[in-house]
Amino acid sequence: MHFFSQAFNYEHPWSHVTFLDRTVDPKTGVIRTERILGCKQKTPGWILALFGGSEDAFVREISFVDPATQNATITSVNLSLSQFATCFERIQYSPAPGNRTSFTQTAEVQARMQLWRSAADGLERWLVQRFEQNAHLGKLGFTDVLRTLEERLEQRQTTAA
Amino acid sequence: MADSLSPQCTPLKHEYDSCFNVWFEEYLEPALATNATEAQRTAHYQRKAEEFQAKCGKVYAEYQNCIQNAVKQKGIEPLLQQAREEHPLREPLPPAVPSSKDSK
Repeated sequence: MHFFSQAFNYEHPWSHVTFLDRTVDPKTGVIRTERILGCKQKTPGWILALFGGSEDAFVREISFVDPATQNATITSVNLSLSQFATCFERIQYSPAPGNRTSFTQTAEVQARMQLWRSAADGLERWLVQRFEQNAHLGKLGFTDVLRTLEERLEQRQTTAA
Repeated sequence: MADSLSPQCTPLKHEYDSCFNVWFEEYLEPALATNATEAQRTAHYQRKAEEFQAKCGKVYAEYQNCIQNAVKQKGIEPLLQQAREEHPLREPLPPAVPSSKDSK
């Protein structure tokens, strides 16, 4: 497991946000919200060719807002490609002296090595199949382009003749 | 406002968002009144939780219904299920221990 603590900006804005669950604790007043965030990401072409899937990346996010203590915590973990690795991020906003707000961010990145080993055989077979399927699709696409070009050439030749 | 996971759910999402935002603004106000007693706060939260249900409960249920299908269609249901099992997160996590910036 690896930890890091840093801030960065994603190149891509969240394109859609879906609420899954929102509850208000009548005793403490804490609001809990569970959401799915989705964004289009520029996945390298070879990843799509290997794993199939889509360019949509999904993240599950849980937030707690406590109006009494004015604390807010946000935790998030990736759903997409989580079979290979997870990134568990935690952000906390809390009141700080001098009428300011402190911001703390931590993240744990964990590769699922055990899953890899036990599933390696089946996964490899599956990946080879996926690759073959997608390679075939890619070839079809290119054949179409060639055919269109050929047809245009033929048309030009017939009109010229 | 961001769109929903599924375009069909976007109008419901916007309706729900508007409802929540109005409620939430009022909700935070008394938190700033520091002289309120514990009993007053508890009564307030109880009342606001009920109010949330009364005002936004219906559109929330409709929206929920819509996105359940979207989650299934997008194939994220098993991933979501796994994430929920690993980290139920029903309660807020204890405050993070402040650490120096270079610590690993």
